[in-house]
Amino acid sequence: MPDGSFAHPQQRHFNPYTENGGTILAIAGADFSVIAGDTRQSEGYSIQTRYAPKVFRLTDRAVLAVNGFAADGNMFVKKVKQRLEWYRHAHAKDMPLRAIARLIQTMLYAQRFFPYYVYNILGGIEEDGKYHTSLPSYSTAFPPHPLSRVHWIKREWKCGPKVLVANTFRLLVQLGSGAVYSFDPVGSYEREACRAAGAAQSLVQPFLDNQIYFKNQTAPAGQSHPTHLPLQDVLSIVIDSFTSATERHIEVGDGLEMYVVLAKGRSPQGLESIAGIQEVTTKSDSDRVFVIRRELKKD
Amino acid sequence: MDHFPTSWGRPRNEAYDAFNTYPLHQRPNHSKDVFADGVQRTQQPIVTGTSVLALTYKDGIMMAADNLASYGSLARFKSIQRLHAVGNSTVLGASGDMSDYQYIQTLLDELVIDEFTANDKHDLGPAEIHEYLSRVLYSRRSKMNPLWNSLLVGGKKNGKRFLAYVDLLGTTYSASTIATGYGAHIAIPLLRKAIEGRENTLTEAEARSILTEAMRVLFYRDARSLDKFQIATVNDEGVSISETITLETAWGFAEGIRGYGAQTQ
Amino acid sequence: MISLQAHTLLMVESSRQGLLSLEIENSGTAIGLRVKDGIVLAVEKLIHSKLLIPEANRRIQSVDKHIGMATAGYQADGRILANRARDEALSYRSSNRAPPPLQDVVMRLSLYVQAYTLYSSVRPFGCSTIIGSLDSSGPALYIVEPSGIAYGYHGAAVGKGRQLAKTELEKLKLSELSTREAVIEAARIIYLVHDDNKEKEFELEMSWIGDETDGIHLPVPKDLLEEAEQKAKDALENFE
Repeated sequence: MPDGSFAHPQQRHFNPYTENGGTILAIAGADFSVIAGDTRQSEGYSIQTRYAPKVFRLTDRAVLAVNGFAADGNMFVKKVKQRLEWYRHAHAKDMPLRAIARLIQTMLYAQRFFPYYVYNILGGIEEDGKYHTSLPSYSTAFPPHPLSRVHWIKREWKCGPKVLVANTFRLLVQLGSGAVYSFDPVGSYEREACRAAGAAQSLVQPFLDNQIYFKNQTAPAGQSHPTHLPLQDVLSIVIDSFTSATERHIEVGDGLEMYVVLAKGRSPQGLESIAGIQEVTTKSDSDRVFVIRRELKKD
Repeated sequence: MDHFPTSWGRPRNEAYDAFNTYPLHQRPNHSKDVFADGVQRTQQPIVTGTSVLALTYKDGIMMAADNLASYGSLARFKSIQRLHAVGNSTVLGASGDMSDYQYIQTLLDELVIDEFTANDKHDLGPAEIHEYLSRVLYSRRSKMNPLWNSLLVGGKKNGKRFLAYVDLLGTTYSASTIATGYGAHIAIPLLRKAIEGRENTLTEAEARSILTEAMRVLFYRDARSLDKFQIATVNDEGVSISETITLETAWGFAEGIRGYGAQTQ
Repeated sequence: MISLQAHTLLMVESSRQGLLSLEIENSGTAIGLRVKDGIVLAVEKLIHSKLLIPEANRRIQSVDKHIGMATAGYQADGRILANRARDEALSYRSSNRAPPPLQDVVMRLSLYVQAYTLYSSVRPFGCSTIIGSLDSSGPALYIVEPSGIAYGYHGAAVGKGRQLAKTELEKLKLSELSTREAVIEAARIIYLVHDDNKEKEFELEMSWIGDETDGIHLPVPKDLLEEAEQKAKDALENFE
């Protein structure tokens, strides 16, 4: 052909990916985490549906938000849940948060050369809160606070070259702490205090940097910024993030789903007074999970 | 492909180290499947169906699709059916490649017979059919060998309405009104306006007229559409797929448009 | 001249088959009626324990939408045969994109059954199968025996009461009966051949394929089943 159109065999390539819009974010508090996402699913300029959840409860202390290619996201969540169920059958307990985070990394990296086109944010309660020890006699007289995780540990004393293992036990009291892990599509991950991902990441993350990390803010003389914000403040920041992203980004809107994971034994911190809140915890005497749903603009 | 039989299933001569020049583990590996370039995969749809529309109404769900299968811009087959009953509580509507759709039909028919012969008092409802299809389509896309369709699955089982979408990428979603293809752009704004918030009050007659109107607009605007279509309803009475309906259209307005009707000057 | 070894093998085989056929002959009767516009299958399912759940362990199975089968003999073998028949029916569908005619399924199934008579490593099937269907060419009814032989019938009976059942079937004008009428007759015959004095209790299991079922193989609906059972009991009293 003179125009060269048949010079090479033509083959249009099938693209196995698409982008389905939406935004997710998570913020860790001292003894809670908030994991949120909008519920719009879109492709190009079309809104496919106004309600397609992107945030999923995995266990009573872990919530996963997925954003990117929806088909991959749903399949990935399905497989993570399946692995967590197998873990439950094998060990008769829920997988700890940091182990879920590592599991997600290996599952994502396993697909390194045909990745799940998904950004993941995992939020929940980590078993690494502050420890304080107390004598058994003391704890019998004053039972440990229900929020604490209780461990018996064997004490060791180093006496010169010898290590003396004593029969005395001590009560170790551990508090759960809020944690957020963020991932890239092939499994790079880190623990953070807050993270936004998805279509409006570039709008929301700077806002969180300012409000959570106090970037570009100067503390009043003689005072310092708090390391953790209270739950009510965090919820306000989450709602503001999404209403703003809805204003400025076409792929964000319709509905907002916020999951709150509360460390075991902690007071609800005013959660019960929030309109329409729903508890989705499956067990008693565990960390607790709540969902709060809000409308976002639909235009 | 290499048609020379001696090349099949063994290294080509230039790849075969006849004189043991290299130790076994260092031998250059030229191994290549000589049949690889003979494998064909769907890289584009050939005979295609255009939009499928669907909505939920008071008693169930309703779906519409026209009777055309196009070959590019040629209106090739003008009386094919793109709505398919699966069991007695589900209807499937297909746009995209019609041969892939027929393959999906055979898959589903097998599934339904398997389920029937098991005779275990369980049958597949729309949610199960949709989950099954989403797994099939997602696994095919993951093999880079997609089934080139956008499918709508609708139905009603145990008093619960169901309407959802799945496409060649395995993307799924559910909504009270859904359209595939061109319909997602042209019909959805009309359908959303008519349906959102009225899912539980809309009557069958109203739903039918809303769908018919949307099909009419699509016929005016979508060059790959036809004025003959069918409507499927699923309600407590089960699945019913209508006879072919012919749209009433008026083209009189075109007479006055320059470049459209017969021009006098 | 048959060799001694082959002769011994045949002896062993025939005694083994004797045991298997004994199992079939002692099993509850199963009958099939091919009538004007459909098929009726009926089984006298002997209840060997009062602890069994009613309607469990069905001896009538579906092979395809329009094909049903009833077995007499080893129930486990019956289920294997039904699964094989389903696979064959499905394979016919995938090659031809059409519901399989019964003859095709029966030919393939009997070939399978026959193969189990050929090798010392396997035993033949311990059940006789009545298989029936209704399609565009009308109703069809076959018996597949453990030898692999398969014949078409107007009326079929296997199991313990087959002789009496066959005599009763012969009295009927099968090609003039409607499927609904055949249900009544089938129930009557099963009740007739059941030996109250010697036998344990039994459950009447019936299915049909006809215009009333839209050509689909379905269990006989409860009200019709009860009506047929009542009529069967009445007829029995008049008979005696």
